Amino acid sequence: MVISRRTALLGGASLLASPMIARAQSNKVDVVGVYSLSGTFANVGDLLNKGTVMAFEHYKTAAGKQINYTLLDDQGDAGRAVRRVQEAMGQGVRHVVGCTNSAIALAVAKEVLARGGIYIHMAGADEATGSQCNKASFRWPGASYTAIRATLEPFIQANPAAKRWYTITGQYVFGESLLTNAKAVMQEKGLTNLGNSYHSLSEREYSGYITAAMAANPDVLAVLNFGNQTVDVVRQAVSFGLKRNVKIVVPWCTGLDQYQAWGTDIVDGVYFGVNYWHGVDGPGNRVLSEVVRAKTNGATNYLQACGWAVAQMFVEGANKAGSLEVPDLIKAMEGLTYEGPTGTETVRAGDHQVLKNYYLMRGKARSAMRDADDFAEIVQATKAFLSPEQAGCKMG
Amino acid sequence: MQGQVILFQVLNGIGIGMIYFLLSVGLTMIFGLMRFVNFAHGTLYLVGAYTAYSVSLLTGSIWWALAAGPLTAAAVALVSERLVLRHTYEMPHEAQILVTFALALILQESMILIFDPLAKNVPVPNFLSGIVFIGPFVYPAYRLAVVVAAAIIAVVLWFVLERTRFGAALRAGSESTEMVSLLGINVQRVFMVAFLIGGALAGLAGTLSAPLRGVEPFMGSEALGVAFVVVVVGGIGSFTGALLGGLLIGIVQSLASSLWPEGARLMIYGAMALVLLVRPAGLMGRS
Amino acid sequence: MSTFSSYRPFPDATTGALAVVLVALPFVLPSVTLASELVVFAIGALSCTFLLGLVGLLSFGQGLFFGIGAYGSARILLHSNTGSLATILSAAAIAAVAAAIVGFLSVRRRGIYFVMLTLAFAQMGYFAMLAMKNVTGGENGLTGLPRPPVFAGFGALTHPQSVYAFLAAICFLAFVLTQRIASSPFGSVLRAIRENDIRADALGYDVRLFKIMALAFGGFLAGLAGAMHTIFLGLAPPNTIEPEMSERLVIMAIIGGTGSPIGALIGAGFYVLLADFLSALWPRWLMIIAFLMIAIVLFLPNGLWGSVELLIARWRGGRVRVASPEAVDG
Repeated sequence: MVISRRTALLGGASLLASPMIARAQSNKVDVVGVYSLSGTFANVGDLLNKGTVMAFEHYKTAAGKQINYTLLDDQGDAGRAVRRVQEAMGQGVRHVVGCTNSAIALAVAKEVLARGGIYIHMAGADEATGSQCNKASFRWPGASYTAIRATLEPFIQANPAAKRWYTITGQYVFGESLLTNAKAVMQEKGLTNLGNSYHSLSEREYSGYITAAMAANPDVLAVLNFGNQTVDVVRQAVSFGLKRNVKIVVPWCTGLDQYQAWGTDIVDGVYFGVNYWHGVDGPGNRVLSEVVRAKTNGATNYLQACGWAVAQMFVEGANKAGSLEVPDLIKAMEGLTYEGPTGTETVRAGDHQVLKNYYLMRGKARSAMRDADDFAEIVQATKAFLSPEQAGCKMG
Repeated sequence: MQGQVILFQVLNGIGIGMIYFLLSVGLTMIFGLMRFVNFAHGTLYLVGAYTAYSVSLLTGSIWWALAAGPLTAAAVALVSERLVLRHTYEMPHEAQILVTFALALILQESMILIFDPLAKNVPVPNFLSGIVFIGPFVYPAYRLAVVVAAAIIAVVLWFVLERTRFGAALRAGSESTEMVSLLGINVQRVFMVAFLIGGALAGLAGTLSAPLRGVEPFMGSEALGVAFVVVVVGGIGSFTGALLGGLLIGIVQSLASSLWPEGARLMIYGAMALVLLVRPAGLMGRS
Repeated sequence: MSTFSSYRPFPDATTGALAVVLVALPFVLPSVTLASELVVFAIGALSCTFLLGLVGLLSFGQGLFFGIGAYGSARILLHSNTGSLATILSAAAIAAVAAAIVGFLSVRRRGIYFVMLTLAFAQMGYFAMLAMKNVTGGENGLTGLPRPPVFAGFGALTHPQSVYAFLAAICFLAFVLTQRIASSPFGSVLRAIRENDIRADALGYDVRLFKIMALAFGGFLAGLAGAMHTIFLGLAPPNTIEPEMSERLVIMAIIGGTGSPIGALIGAGFYVLLADFLSALWPRWLMIIAFLMIAIVLFLPNGLWGSVELLIARWRGGRVRVASPEAVDG
């Protein structure tokens, strides 16, 4: 056990300082969130954290104990995230939520497992519930297999004439897994894969790739990347008039915030795959939307929903277990079913992946929008997941 | 068919290259003329882009944005020069690099503070939102407008440099400061104006690029990287070097998208290293 | 810019002070893990301090070698049973070789061109890491690395305290080695090169060769820090090779002051503690660090530690050697 000392200089530094003493009375439970408020992922981290904060403020207690939430800002640095989690767990914290990117999630997951904690996160990397699955971690959103299957298959069904495909793919691990899954689908459905253009992680200029795509004369352009890159590719593709004779499919999209970045003219007619949509009616989403609207006077976006979801999973699991001891919690969470942001969601025991809906959406014309956030309509909701064995998960 | 694609990519590359020219011409002139290394140059591009975003939110007019972007960038350049940079003129290059680098960080964090870390969207003005056909080649109208605008600016700049007294003083000042001041010209004032114009041009590049690439806090450091490559390849201190370097890098980047897409970024920095090693004066620079 | 001052005898009072600081650190700081992080980055910053302070070379590319050390040690840990000490030293050696190669190319230019070359190589290293995702894990990094004992079954590193003791020992040895080099004839030549490399060349020294050797040692230090980082965390994340890491190491070196190796410790300590302390209060803490950097470059060219040294010297009444920045044209 690490015994920590405070000096006058760093007296107020750690927000975990005084609650440590109060914790001895054990009517509170300490939960830490690992998000980036500075560094290159600051944009994502802030909203995720807000979602988690809103959820904990709403639920207030877990298994009868009051939730005491602390944010650990990892500054976009996986090393710092691990160190701060080490520090927190050294001070007795056992419950960790959140991540801003997959590198941080995968690193923190190992650390939490080694120290006997529980970790609920929203990483997109397939490995989190695949080759690197572990007993202590749980993941909420669907990853690349889910995204591709739940987007491409209903799209192909609705557009049987779209046979010739071209892909623009981010040349990194996540992009590659999107592409591998997409190629598998194309092969199964007998579609023509005209070609693929890779781009690098920090690319901003896609006119060359779009020109190459247009030259191949495809029916469909699939955009296989994430984040700002998705926004830039679609924006530039539409500016080249691609929509005139090519359908654009974006299997990994974060929904509302990206729609807002694009604007209705770009979104109109494009197909998107999203992990969450605020317009879906359901008991879980109603609760979430009410809280968000009260706090922000706006519709819920994916990041807030994610932040909420991991917090909700913790609370639901704790309430079901009636205890906050990690082994009880893990046991309760395996197989847990609850009303989450996308409807009824279940935590699969075999790999700790949440089985939930993934939506195929189609962008609406401006005239068809019922309000300023009604950018797209849901074409289909699908639960598509690899089995744990297929994903390569061997849980100890 | 393959030949047509190559041709398209070259034409597209020219379009990209003109923006790179606008971005880099200020940096190269400032270094060539004032021997001043400005690592904060990319953030002037950033300031131009964020100004475009704010103005388009407030007024929805591209013309106001076009005016405000360069002016704001020039204002930021002026304030930084008066407050911080002029203390570093007598210091070694390393000091200038460090101070301007720190300044860039401050500006970047300020953008996050004023706005938020999320990427922002600037819509293309309505009258430019369509496409034009250049032969069988489809090209966004807005990009074409940017190319035309950059070309006009290039001509005006050349005119100022080659045909006006100010331009002559600028060029002479790069040869010998003492000689020029002995001729009664206020060298400091000439350099200051050049610095502001360079900053304004970077801001203009940011304003023009905003509808193409969106606006987010880290685009400044990315822009700086590109500007360095263009300046090195084209030759430090050379106007035509910035033009040729920008076009070359734009064309290389565009061609690489078809021929070797994964390597595009690697190649750009590799090209910079190669030029630095083989011919550090660049295409048009003097040693 | 400040210098690795004039010649200092070795070992001197700062060596002893360093030992005391390293022993006291885990008790003074809120946690042992924070102390370990500080020690790791102290070596990283030292690579920049050494190059800039002693040789006058500003390298914006030390992050590349930090990353090579980090990924190199990760691969060694994953594929062999090497003990931690041997892993760290091997990874540092690999980084030194890489630095020698990059150095060989870069020293053909001086001044601003040299800096830009280091920038270009750092960028290329980052894109290479992303491209070689089978080796480096791409944007996910390499996780779940073992932490073997120091060597041959002795010196288990299971507790944070033992990890810190191990890292602190390496840190001390690295500092001592750097001080030794600085006070050796080799160090004097480097100092002469910093003052005026053209004159040194005229005196018959192969300036390029000396610079390459200095860069190799700088790469060794950065790689050492990267490998220590991997052992400390048990992972090699992508940010170890990002251009931001190069910038971070330079910032630390400047804040601490390049006049003495201790500046690296001070600078790293300042940055790590400030980041830890401030980030809970204000996510834009980087702005404060940037302001500090400007203040230091303009008004306190010896950095924080250098200014302290000046004050001590003045208080002692001794003669003060003030570092005067020379306008050396690139």
